[in-house]
Amino acid sequence: MTPDPARMDALDATWKDKPGLWGFLTTVDHKRIAARYIVTALLLMFLAGVLALDMRWQLSVAENTRMGPQLYNESFSLHGSTMLFLVSVPVMEAMALWLVPLMLGTRNMAFPRLSAFSYWLYLGGVLTLWIAHALDITPDLGWFEYPPLSGPSYSPGHRADIWAQMITFTEVAALAASVNVAATILKMRPPGMTLARMPVFLWAMLIASLMTILSMPAIMLVTSMLISDRLVSTHFFAPAAGGDVLLFQHLFWFFGHPEVYIIFIPATGFVSSIVETFSRRPLFGHNVLVLAILAIAALAFGLWVHHMFAVGLPRLGNDFYTGASMAIALPAGLQIFCWIASIWSGRVVLHTPMLWIIGFLATFVIGGLSGVMTASASLDLQLTDTYFVVAHFHYVLVGGAMFPLFGAFCYWYPKATGRLMSERWGRVAFALIVGGFNLGFFPMHVLGLMGMPRRVYTYPAEMGWEWLNQVATAGSVIAVLGGLVFVGNALASYWRGAPSGPDPWGGSTLEWACPSPPPAWNFAYTPRVSSLTPMWEDASRIAVFDGIAVDRREVLVTSVTDAVPVYRQKSASPSIWPLVAAAAVSAMFIASIFTPWAIAAGLLPIGAALTGWFWPTRARATSGPLRARS
Amino acid sequence: MKPGGILVLLAACLAACSNEARTIGPAMPQTLPSGDADPRIGAYQENAYQVSQGRRYFAWYGCSQCHAEGGPADRDLTDGKWRHGGGFAQVYASVASGHPEQDFVRRIAIEQLWQITAYVRDLPTHTAEKRYRLLVDQKGEAQGSSWNGPQ
Ligand code: HEM
Ligand SMILES: [Cu+2]
Repeated sequence: MTPDPARMDALDATWKDKPGLWGFLTTVDHKRIAARYIVTALLLMFLAGVLALDMRWQLSVAENTRMGPQLYNESFSLHGSTMLFLVSVPVMEAMALWLVPLMLGTRNMAFPRLSAFSYWLYLGGVLTLWIAHALDITPDLGWFEYPPLSGPSYSPGHRADIWAQMITFTEVAALAASVNVAATILKMRPPGMTLARMPVFLWAMLIASLMTILSMPAIMLVTSMLISDRLVSTHFFAPAAGGDVLLFQHLFWFFGHPEVYIIFIPATGFVSSIVETFSRRPLFGHNVLVLAILAIAALAFGLWVHHMFAVGLPRLGNDFYTGASMAIALPAGLQIFCWIASIWSGRVVLHTPMLWIIGFLATFVIGGLSGVMTASASLDLQLTDTYFVVAHFHYVLVGGAMFPLFGAFCYWYPKATGRLMSERWGRVAFALIVGGFNLGFFPMHVLGLMGMPRRVYTYPAEMGWEWLNQVATAGSVIAVLGGLVFVGNALASYWRGAPSGPDPWGGSTLEWACPSPPPAWNFAYTPRVSSLTPMWEDASRIAVFDGIAVDRREVLVTSVTDAVPVYRQKSASPSIWPLVAAAAVSAMFIASIFTPWAIAAGLLPIGAALTGWFWPTRARATSGPLRARS
Repeated sequence: MKPGGILVLLAACLAACSNEARTIGPAMPQTLPSGDADPRIGAYQENAYQVSQGRRYFAWYGCSQCHAEGGPADRDLTDGKWRHGGGFAQVYASVASGHPEQDFVRRIAIEQLWQITAYVRDLPTHTAEKRYRLLVDQKGEAQGSSWNGPQ
């Protein structure tokens, strides 16, 4: 399938970005955009990690004075909001942006400019939160800011507005990315990749995107209601005037619970890909895995109330949501068994990506077990708002999503850079992070059971919490050191790593068929797929199609279920308009913290930018009501 | 100047106005304002948190029972007309010593009087809807006569 040089030159001429800054600002290449997304998210993970270390420092001694209550409030709010809204969710979407077209053997996303818009708007959210932080306008009410505390009366100033508007930014960005991913997976699969032959990774990304599309509107609505309460004095969350504070919690968690699965389900996609490749056998129970993900996604929308067990809802309601929450352990357990069975019955190769999967399985199971405990409404009344919860959600978020992400990073790194990461340093980083994490966070279960509340900036020595807190701090330090080794390894390997070739691991899916790093056009020909593991059929001779243009940007659109070729679609060219549109939207979002008129006034520049974006490139029609009249 | 430099400068200017600053626990003043130009005034009058603390004390000490909005003109604090002068020290004096029966000088801590003063002077700058919205959230708090001692 090696294309001849003339064809590659032609493809380069069509698909390559302009050099320099202009190319950087206008690119619609999904790989460049996704790489930006990932680098930004990792940078923020580092910043939020530093905040976490600072908090751990404060808690390592009783009555410590490193931080006062206000600074501690700001620290955990910024840490939590950044980690969830600016790191976990975006980084998973970014992985989809990077990988989906490659795994589909296509040349770009369905809506190339929307990918660019999504990143720029996400960047707007990042800057909003962190520039505000630099100006000492840091949100200080945690990662979910309940009214009335976050209402106009108890949160004067703009700290809460910054938080709420940061959410709006990231949610619009997430919606843009999700629509794009879903459309790409449904309509741009290569011929032969029927839904039944779609790798678990793609299922995971499709389902997570659909969940995003269904859940994000709730949070955008609720943060907008909060802003409107604060800005134009509406009464949504003022009980004394007929409002309802619980409405906020319901809407928030109707998004908030699915969110943890929007983070976790892509991670199951990484795990499935890595397990398959390194067990050297097709996944055990492919259909079970897919159905389990679907079941998790469906159930995830029906158990948000387990975050509200302590607010005094009717008993029967609590019982129902206890049952629903525990039910999710079934599909989650099925998944774990499928992966274990694949590993068990395969010929396992323990390269670093696979090590991360082992770390994931061990850690995530612990988080799942503490999850079943907090799902019980009666037990939760004791556990809620204690360090037990802090332990639980770090086990599921870090163990369940970050470890697979690190594994995925090591797994696809050679594809992105053409170089291998050092295995030795990879193992060191793995040992430090997984060891340090467990050392640091396991004691928090005990602290929680001993009654240590979450979100306290200090505690008296008589409580007897000191030495466990010191162990927790030591563990966190070790984990962060491991993180530095990980980043150092990634950076050093970028320049010094051994060349990897297109397929260093003997991977099963299509992304391993294109060169590493992939050229701007990804694939010279459209591959044709006849199984779930196309690369293992006869990797040297994947059947391909020709017929998609080389001299202009074009992609193949196929039917939803059977991936039958339907038509050739023009693919949008690089453009500055997504950046301009994102800047206009950002200006409107930020100004609307200060005056409601910003929404009306802001529509004009946004409209102008969108007009530029969608300006037709086709000649005017010659017939019909819109025909050009001369 | 490079754009980076401008940004840093802008950031520094913005940070310098401490509208958002929030110190928990007693801050500066343990004495009366020395006059309408007392340098400490800005830290209260221009600070969102201090003004909002003033609003809570205003309700707790029962001020809102007489000073209802739309009430008799001499008691309406929202119309921006000050019969005893609108400077900080003047309003402070009206609050502290203008209510002999309530004996506020003795009953209210000095810093709280600063906050209440800042709040009262802030009132006319908002719309009626906004003032109402702010108070409505506080309905659940014990205020004035509905306060029956520490729980
Ligand atoms: C070495 C890594 C990390 C350390 C040492 C750490 C430490 C902490 C600490 C000390 C708190 C405050 C607990 C409290 O006082 O209530 C916290 C809260 C939190 N962390 Fe982490 N964390 C780490 C990584 C992460 C990651 C990767 C995520 C998400 C993907 C995350 C999500 C959160 C959230 C959502 C909160 C709750 C904030 C709130 O209460 O509003 N953390 N973390
Ligand atoms: Cu939940």
